[in-house]
Amino acid sequence: MVERDIRLFFQYKFLIIIRAIWFVSQIVLFGLIASRMISTEAVHDYFRYYVAGLSVMTLYSAAIFIGFDIYEEAEHGVFEYLLSLPVSRRQLVLGRSIGGGLRSFIYVGPLIGVSLYVIGSVNPLSFLVSLFALFLFSFGVSGMSITIAVMIKSSDRFDILMGVLDALIVRLSTAMYPLAVVQTTNPLYGGVASFNPVTYAADLFRWGTGIEAIITLDNPLMPLLGIIAFFAFFTFVGVIIYDRRIEGGGWQ
Amino acid sequence: MKAVLHILEHDFRNFFRYKWWLVGLISMNLADLFIMAIVYNRMLSSEVIEQIKSYFDFFAPGLAVTGLFASAFMIGREVNMERRREVHQYMLSLPMTRMELAIGRVLSGGLRGMVYMSPLLLTCFAFLGPPNLWQFLLILVILFFLAIGISGLSIAIAVSTASLEKFITARGLVYYTLFFCSSVFYPLSLIQELGQEGRFPMVLVTLAEVNPLSSGADLIRSFLLGNPPFSLNMILNVLVFSTIFTLSAAVAYIKIIQE
Repeated sequence: MVERDIRLFFQYKFLIIIRAIWFVSQIVLFGLIASRMISTEAVHDYFRYYVAGLSVMTLYSAAIFIGFDIYEEAEHGVFEYLLSLPVSRRQLVLGRSIGGGLRSFIYVGPLIGVSLYVIGSVNPLSFLVSLFALFLFSFGVSGMSITIAVMIKSSDRFDILMGVLDALIVRLSTAMYPLAVVQTTNPLYGGVASFNPVTYAADLFRWGTGIEAIITLDNPLMPLLGIIAFFAFFTFVGVIIYDRRIEGGGWQ
Repeated sequence: MKAVLHILEHDFRNFFRYKWWLVGLISMNLADLFIMAIVYNRMLSSEVIEQIKSYFDFFAPGLAVTGLFASAFMIGREVNMERRREVHQYMLSLPMTRMELAIGRVLSGGLRGMVYMSPLLLTCFAFLGPPNLWQFLLILVILFFLAIGISGLSIAIAVSTASLEKFITARGLVYYTLFFCSSVFYPLSLIQELGQEGRFPMVLVTLAEVNPLSSGADLIRSFLLGNPPFSLNMILNVLVFSTIFTLSAAVAYIKIIQE
């Protein structure tokens, strides 16, 4: 299942190209110009801060894509074929979740390389911890995407919901701005950002790349635990929901 | 004229088939304004604050133009799909001239952009204060020309690309270049400063200066915020863009669908 999902992803060559163009243009155009706008008191080096957040945003949107594959398969009747394979339902779901996470990680790997080049210094041990956290984050996002896809069973509603969720989950996180600024702006926004897996992933990635000077992460253990909880919830609860919802059809 | 109206009706019906998608898109735009812009407000440097006062106020007109661009560009996707599925054979069999068909498509793309943009523009007026009647009319006319130009650009790309993937890739390139090399998200002066320091290619600085998205956003800002000051170049940039792409879309559309 993992191999199949990875192969499937790399068939979307144009999607991969367009995401890469988006990533590069965000760095060399938006990142560079927007960093001129930001006060050094708010963020010491906004360009590097933004580039690190951008890697997590890209990982998030690549991991979400597995949900769209599920609708494509349902539409073309591939779902029934998958159910007829000699693998248990749980193996099928777990394989999809791992495949979805792994392929997005493979895809984002070179982009993370670009980010590291821009950011500069890396603390090897912290970086390995942060990479591990990003792995779990991408599995968790894939699991979330699969869970929502099989619960909704309508590609239109899924498309809209994921768009709105993307808008909220990314903007109400520290991917683009520090937590302290979000909390000062609006306590509600700050509250959501404090319990957001994108915040945990972005902060841990910045911590791992050794740019602590521009982050406000006191203890990396808390976001790491948050990521583990997110991964566990959507992988294991997702398996149960998927297991129950895939029988009987009903896809629109 | 009646034939053009039928094309408009056809395209508007198609547009409202995606109503939930439109609701999703508007909510994403509003999230940009009510979350991202408000948080950015807190992080601006003192030089930028001096220049734009508030990022929320600065970004609201830019967001209206962004919405206009995204929705007017949607017509290209439909035209590309019709070409791939050869629906254009049916379109050619309709009792109307090729020119009416082409003008109808460009016009409907532009009008759909205006309809989508209206709630964003109203939000802008609600928070920044309304313009006077003449300014309001000028904003509407210029944004309409901008929408037609965008619709023409998307149709020209759609008929020049044989597959959906190539269309999406070309659209992405145009989107990101026009959005990020414009004054939609940041003041033009920042891009010019980077260009003068040699940190940004001068060709992209020039693109940002003549970019119709910059002109559209700055026109609204000049009336609602008084900064940047109104300039005839804002109108000229949009009109030139609109004329070039409306004509090239009409010619390309007629040529391709007759092949």
